[in-house]
Amino acid sequence: MLEIKDLQATIEGQDKQILNGLSLTVRPGEVHAIMGPNGSGKSTLAYVLSGRDGYEVTGGSATLDGEDLLELEPEERAAAGLFLAMQYPVEIPGVSNMYFLRQAMNSIRKARGEEEISAGAFMKLVKERAALLGVGGELLKRDVNRGFSGGEKKRNEILQMAMLQPRICILDETDSGLDIDALRTVADGVNAMRSPDRGFLIITHYQRLLDYIVPDHVHVLAKGRIQTSGDRSLALELEEKGYGGVLGAEFAEVAA
Amino acid sequence: MSALRNRTAEPVPGFAEALERLRGEAAGSSGRALEQRNAAFERFQALGVPTPRVENWKYTNAASFANRPFALAPRGTVDPDLVIPHFAGGHKARRLILVNGRTVPQFSHLGGLPAGMTVRPLAQVLAETPELVDRTSVNDEPEHSFEALNRALVEDGAWISLEDGVALDEPLQVISILTEAESAFMAHPRHVIRLGRNAKLRLILTTVALGQAESLLNQVETVEIADGADLTIDRTLEQGQGRSAITRSRFVLGSRSRLQQTTASIGGSLIRHEMEARLRGTHSEAILNGLMMPQGTEHVDTLIRMHHEMPDCQSDQFYKTVADDRGRAVFAGKIFVHKDAQRTNSYQKNDSLLLSDDAEIDAKPELEIYADDVKCSHGATCGDLDPASLFYLRSRGMDEALARSMLTFAFTGEVLERIADESVDHIVRRMILSRLPGGERLAELG
Ligand SMILES: Nc1ncnc2c1ncn2[C@@H]1O[C@H](COP(=O)(O)OP(=O)(O)OP(=O)(O)O)[C@@H](O)[C@H]1O
Ligand SMILES: [Mg+2]
Repeated sequence: MLEIKDLQATIEGQDKQILNGLSLTVRPGEVHAIMGPNGSGKSTLAYVLSGRDGYEVTGGSATLDGEDLLELEPEERAAAGLFLAMQYPVEIPGVSNMYFLRQAMNSIRKARGEEEISAGAFMKLVKERAALLGVGGELLKRDVNRGFSGGEKKRNEILQMAMLQPRICILDETDSGLDIDALRTVADGVNAMRSPDRGFLIITHYQRLLDYIVPDHVHVLAKGRIQTSGDRSLALELEEKGYGGVLGAEFAEVAA
Repeated sequence: MSALRNRTAEPVPGFAEALERLRGEAAGSSGRALEQRNAAFERFQALGVPTPRVENWKYTNAASFANRPFALAPRGTVDPDLVIPHFAGGHKARRLILVNGRTVPQFSHLGGLPAGMTVRPLAQVLAETPELVDRTSVNDEPEHSFEALNRALVEDGAWISLEDGVALDEPLQVISILTEAESAFMAHPRHVIRLGRNAKLRLILTTVALGQAESLLNQVETVEIADGADLTIDRTLEQGQGRSAITRSRFVLGSRSRLQQTTASIGGSLIRHEMEARLRGTHSEAILNGLMMPQGTEHVDTLIRMHHEMPDCQSDQFYKTVADDRGRAVFAGKIFVHKDAQRTNSYQKNDSLLLSDDAEIDAKPELEIYADDVKCSHGATCGDLDPASLFYLRSRGMDEALARSMLTFAFTGEVLERIADESVDHIVRRMILSRLPGGERLAELG
């Protein structure tokens, strides 16, 4: 369903290629983990897929269910079913979390030609899903991410994901910042969303998350492309040997 | 000689004709009262209409709106159904209603005022005791030409007075309606507001233009807040194309008194609000908040003179501006700390959002400090909507217009929070949303 072919991208106005011919296919129901050194281009991939300004795609393609993602506005990608849980969620002062969620949900429904969700049904749903993810009622009333702790922000991202029920979920280092218990809670939330018609792309530095959310495939991204892929044992191998040990000396502690 | 010429423009004859028409007709337009009007008119002519060469009028060209052939406002009434949507303050609020600067007693509701509180049409005071209208205690700063013009052409306004210790529990709303009209008209209302010692009042000042007309509202307010008194004002100004409004508010505060005003100047071809606050006793506090939101070719201008004359007082100016299209906003705020005003705390902040390349915001903060033990700060920020925030909203499915409107609305929130009356808060939110693309989709947030 998500098909990335030979994707190449630069930072707008700069020559340096950040994504360097990246190819990856996520089929429905699959969980793919992406690991890779700092600065290797993981977040860049996530942003390019979700349509953030500031990047230039210089080659390749990315499609979701055959539709060219790169042609779409960010909101159209969201309506098509793409969701990015960000590495650094943004604070939006003046907009309450609850209100934000409802606007997001209704925007997506509207774009898909569906009915808006009623206030009552929404309240019920958000309370239910928030409770599952350990997001307290107080956080729902507060402004979006404003003054949230690092872990609270990450839970909030997953709450949004649980509300919007996307087709393809990209999680960019959702685990960093979460305490041990929260990691478990969030992983349970993600696992609950696993389904035969939904795909996941999970960016992480740590094997531990993958103990909870067991991936079907693990990829190592370095220097802007997938250097090697394998099953979950690759994550364990990386943990043991480091990037240099798995990819070869030239990848040992390099700035991507 | 020519330098002076350049600084002011000669007023058009329409003003003198207006004075002529008022003579013997308006309240207080004969005998000694007429002399006062004539004297004021001479002062106006001598002062002339300021051009942008006058420092305080650098960004707002008064001649462009004031020197048009305005006639005195038509007498007229309005459909009460058009006024009711502007009611605020709850069903117990008292209301004084003015149409084109003249009070309309049959629309007003002033029953059950506490003993010691008076609300009357200023016209009555002008007819009976015109000297009460000119209280020198609030007239320190030199009169400017529009103020003199107002004194010459005033017909009516609100006279609000609370004796010592009197408090009105519910808000008092003064609604000033400007009607539609075929030809350009002007109105020069004057409000006199006096709170005796320890008196307390929540005032809602609502100015609304209904329908199409070219009009000039030239309003003057003198506000005395005696020792221990507390005045809260929620003020909204909603005008339309072709409407100009210039308001001059003078506040004088006694010891341990408090003034808190929050203003929303939402629309109008040209809006200028000048405020002068004088903290004349110790331990008093003046808070002036505001939101300016010009769009299209609108121009909104705020000028504040905050005078700390005595020790241990506190003041705060907090204004937010959102300028879109070719809209233009001006914020000129000055803090004066006089030499006796030790231990003054005075703050000023102006945050602006420029939504289009053609919009313009001029912020001019100034400090003039003669005491040595003071805490003063002023800050101004100006920027576009944050791209990271915009992307965040869009990545959650909201289209760009909605995301922009949501962030713009959120930006105004800090001022809206300071509106004292809940119903005014709702009205202002509605006003803002009606001006934002896709605002109707955000309505439930308001
Ligand atoms: N706006 C930018 N301007 C300049 N360089 C940028 C910009 N954004 C990203 N880069 C560079 O692109 C490279 C890839 O960054 P990216 O954030 O994708 O890395 P990452 O793999 O997510 O790293 P991490 O594991 O630290 O999150 C880095 O070298 C980074 O410095
Ligand atoms: Mg990253």
